[in-house]
Amino acid sequence: MNRDVFSSYHPLVNLCYFSLVLVCTMCCWHPVILLISFCSAAAYAMQLNDAKKMKQQVLLLLPVMLMAAVLNPMFNHKGATMLTYLPGGNPLTLESLLYGLAAAVMLAAVMLWFSCYTAVMTSDKFIYLFGRIIPALSLVLSMILRFIPRCLVQLAAIGEAQSCIGRGVHSGTVWQRVRCAVQMVSILVTWAMEQAIETADSMRSRGYGLPGRTAFSIYRFDKRDKLVLLWLAGCAAVILAGWRCSALAWSYYPLMQGSLLTPLTMIVQVIYLALCMTPVILNRREARLWMRSQSSR
Amino acid sequence: MIPRIRKKHDYKAGLLVVLIFVSILFSGCSQNNQTELECDLQCSISISCSTALEHAEQLPDGVLQMLPEDGWILEQTTVPMQEGDSAFDVLLRTVQAYDIHMEYADTPVYDSAYIEGIANLYEFDAGGLSGWMYSVNGEFPNYGCSAYTVSEGDVICWVYTCNLGDDVRGKTV
Repeated sequence: MNRDVFSSYHPLVNLCYFSLVLVCTMCCWHPVILLISFCSAAAYAMQLNDAKKMKQQVLLLLPVMLMAAVLNPMFNHKGATMLTYLPGGNPLTLESLLYGLAAAVMLAAVMLWFSCYTAVMTSDKFIYLFGRIIPALSLVLSMILRFIPRCLVQLAAIGEAQSCIGRGVHSGTVWQRVRCAVQMVSILVTWAMEQAIETADSMRSRGYGLPGRTAFSIYRFDKRDKLVLLWLAGCAAVILAGWRCSALAWSYYPLMQGSLLTPLTMIVQVIYLALCMTPVILNRREARLWMRSQSSR
Repeated sequence: MIPRIRKKHDYKAGLLVVLIFVSILFSGCSQNNQTELECDLQCSISISCSTALEHAEQLPDGVLQMLPEDGWILEQTTVPMQEGDSAFDVLLRTVQAYDIHMEYADTPVYDSAYIEGIANLYEFDAGGLSGWMYSVNGEFPNYGCSAYTVSEGDVICWVYTCNLGDDVRGKTV
């Protein structure tokens, strides 16, 4: 699997990138912006995750998207273009269909961005950024975020160990299976509690929270980070300016209308595409540099 | 091993839910709402939004351009009706026959349909006191339109109010 270059940048750069992209995705309902967001999130997620994990994500995303796209026209009947009538007598409109579609794409894009975020922003980066400002909260947050994947791994281990001694959840009558499952949960809870006590002991023995104690970090803010941060700031400025000039205005009800092909809109869209694809481009460039150095050696 | 099998179940359940939704949607599409009327009684109906035009600056973007300039979404028209029809039945049949947009909500507590919007002009679009009201022969009944039984020759007027009915009550439409 390829190493992600963007992860090796300063945590501040990573955080700025993800917050910028997420805010744009969640606040802007312009269809082109949503599509750009969705496609780049998918491209980046494909670089970060292997095929198996990607397949899992798609299986999770598809029902969510379909649900959003189908539910909206069933409960929302605004819109000027009536296609047909629902059984109750309310109209099914083209606008509500498209709005549902846009909502589905936005949901999927946000979920994909967050999957990239968890892969890139590890808990040590989060603690490094927020440890000074909000020490208690950042510790609790990173512990919680870490807790769920750890629990899942442990649950899988417990399940395998249990099925080895004939107490798996895949054999026996329904009642036996339920008993085994309850047993597994009980083991998991015991493990989690013991883990918490051990963590607390370990933290105290290392002097957590004592005054004058510093944290070790390996992050350096160098020229490379400065350049990318400047680029992010420039993109943010262009998008903000475009938003203020209503270049990204779009309304779905009652008639679909908004700016699509005006020069300003096109510029903002291209800049936004470049912003979203920044990590993917950086990864590509690094891979090419690596190839070249290998071949010239 | 365990996560794999659990995921299979999730996938099947998701597929089932999606199938159900799609089938509901398509069963709705194929149904024909225009029913043949048995007897040939008649009443007249009109739909007006002239008060909303007076508050054009309050309307959300894009709503104003959907409204007719003279305020008549449907001028007084004679429509067929059945014995025992409610004001709502007549309205629903008329908007479907004339391809006018209309959305309503069924409220079981009041046992009546509530008209949320006609021609994409919705309640609260022209301020917090605005919405759709109806009058029959010049009188505004104080109950839901599903509860009002229309008699032959009645004149039903659907009007948009911006002031809880004060701006339309005095007028003869």
